[in-house]
Amino acid sequence: MQRRKFLGLGAGILAAAAAAPTMLMAENYRKALPKVWKIKNNEKSKGEDMTGVNEAIKAIFGSDKVEEGKVTLKAPAIAENGAVVPVSLKAEGAKKIALLQTADPESVVAIFDVPERGIPNYSVRIKMQQTGHVVVVAEIDGKLYKADKVVKVTVGGCGG
Amino acid sequence: MRIKAKLKGDKTEVKVMMKHPMLSYREAKKKGKEANFIVYVTAKNEGATVFEVSTSQFLSKNPYMKFYFKGGKKGEEVEITWVDLKGKTKTGKAKIK
Repeated sequence: MQRRKFLGLGAGILAAAAAAPTMLMAENYRKALPKVWKIKNNEKSKGEDMTGVNEAIKAIFGSDKVEEGKVTLKAPAIAENGAVVPVSLKAEGAKKIALLQTADPESVVAIFDVPERGIPNYSVRIKMQQTGHVVVVAEIDGKLYKADKVVKVTVGGCGG
Repeated sequence: MRIKAKLKGDKTEVKVMMKHPMLSYREAKKKGKEANFIVYVTAKNEGATVFEVSTSQFLSKNPYMKFYFKGGKKGEEVEITWVDLKGKTKTGKAKIK
């Protein structure tokens, strides 16, 4: 009995040690994908050009084949203060979720990694320098889904 | 850091407000300061990671987040840690109510 316990413990530790480094790499997208945070929006398009967002989607998920649906995005139609724009998203079954926009100098706002006990239902507050699209892309069962909403910003909130 | 964790049926709801100026590159330039913002946030419940996000300069000042995770029990701890661009890190804890 004792020997069995000992062996079981040993295997557990080995498995944890083997899994830990790769998991860390995959989780912190600042370290895993340093370049995606620098992908620029076309600011002169007044938030209409999706080029930066599409480039970021490809860089984050490895594909730009995105379908509509399965993702719920809540954001105000008009934001009086661009410095604080409340955004909520839901994407049941998602393992990875990216929050992007076309209003700021760069496209990526946040990338969520959904742990085993995580629930893909998040609320955050973001800055928007001007009117633009807020886009949520989620990877669900190996496919990409998105939701897109235009937020009209009356007073920009990004030092611009 | 202000954290509220509340058990809601079979899941736990967490609300957190992190104290940080979140100075974007443009805002920093205007103020003659260096850009600095939170880049990574994780939450743990009794040792298991239950929330994880990599973030940018476009989260609002003093970032607020709300999230849920499966399980959790009253009295257990939720521990939230952030790291900013300069490598400064801060951890806060709250008990699930």
